[in-house]
Amino acid sequence: MDVLKNWKIHIIALILAIISELIGVKKIPVGPGVLLFLPMLYAMILGGIISWPKLKMIKAGEMKHATSVLSLLTLILVTKLGVIIGPSLNKVAEAGFALSIQELGHFLGTVVLGLPIAIALGLGRESVGATFSIDREPNIAIIAEKYGLDSAEGRGVMAIYICGTVFGAIWIGLIAGFLAAMHIFHPYALAMGSGVGSGSMMAAATGAIATVFPEQKEQILMYAGASNLLTTIVGIYFCLFVSLPITNYLYKRLSPILSPNRLKKGGASQ
Amino acid sequence: MNQRETVLTFLVAGLIAAIVCMVGYAVPVWDALIGCGILVFITLLGIWLAKIIPGKLPMVFWVSILAILSSTPISPVADFVKEYTTKVDFLAICTVVLSYAGLTVGKDIVMFKKMSWRIIVVALAVYTGTFICATFIAEIMLHLEGII
Repeated sequence: MDVLKNWKIHIIALILAIISELIGVKKIPVGPGVLLFLPMLYAMILGGIISWPKLKMIKAGEMKHATSVLSLLTLILVTKLGVIIGPSLNKVAEAGFALSIQELGHFLGTVVLGLPIAIALGLGRESVGATFSIDREPNIAIIAEKYGLDSAEGRGVMAIYICGTVFGAIWIGLIAGFLAAMHIFHPYALAMGSGVGSGSMMAAATGAIATVFPEQKEQILMYAGASNLLTTIVGIYFCLFVSLPITNYLYKRLSPILSPNRLKKGGASQ
Repeated sequence: MNQRETVLTFLVAGLIAAIVCMVGYAVPVWDALIGCGILVFITLLGIWLAKIIPGKLPMVFWVSILAILSSTPISPVADFVKEYTTKVDFLAICTVVLSYAGLTVGKDIVMFKKMSWRIIVVALAVYTGTFICATFIAEIMLHLEGII
């Protein structure tokens, strides 16, 4: 029994979660917004420190076990959001059109902001794999099948995946809290934006927004849950049939403009 | 993971979530245990459905469908599900999930340290882009629809 063999990891997770909850929410005003530190962020950071290979506190096998536990655990979050959506299903349906259209922002937002920056920084075909999606497990599968993970595209998708594991949730939690505190966007819009299709990133963003607007917490969780569900389920097909071809097309068009030196050196394919 | 393993994992995780609810959110012991128990039960049932129903739809789909259906007004158990699951704070589950997420970071840190700053900038742009673009479109759409 892996669960019993790896009891240490569960005890550590419990202790980390409790310590983090006891520290509680901390707010640091920065410029027009607020840096919001939620218990889940401490839990993530403390966990990261404990799992640091040099400290040798956790073995590689135990980390592997934590990874498989994690993919199951995010489903409990999905269930929690589902039982919030259920009682107000008609409200979610009312916003159905808005929910569907904003998904375009989830799917194409990575390309719109990421691709030009990636090309301008001198990344080659890596930029296609890196920016065609949010690069979680299902997206890796798409790139693996089309190009193989040894390709430039494969290196791109894996690099962003690793960044996502290391600091994705922390980053997106902080920008979500910051934007929410600035009051430019309506909490419902921010909630929909939080449904990025990765369990831990969605949790961090939604938690931050719900903490800034506690009186609308239920609706925020409801819209975030519905949006995340759409992103996850439609995502695989959209990324494969729409996002990837668009990213490839834009890469061809933007490379000569944003990275002309690369072409001169004859390294456009690399 | 085999089935027994999956069930056991969820029982352990559910128990941890319940303890965090009691300690961090002052939820009474039985409310926390029953609330987390319901969440675990629905999740396991959803995973099982995903395995036995043909069509290869992802687990997230079946888990969501079950969770939503169990709590809609037409469900006979809606009141029970709603009463206890509202006591389990979303943020408490988040803390537990991210504790495990943190504990997986170590296996990627060696690769991460080899990465150039360029790819880190690109990663930040990718995450920011997906969140802000969707929020922006949602804001416009919700206004057009007259919801906000």
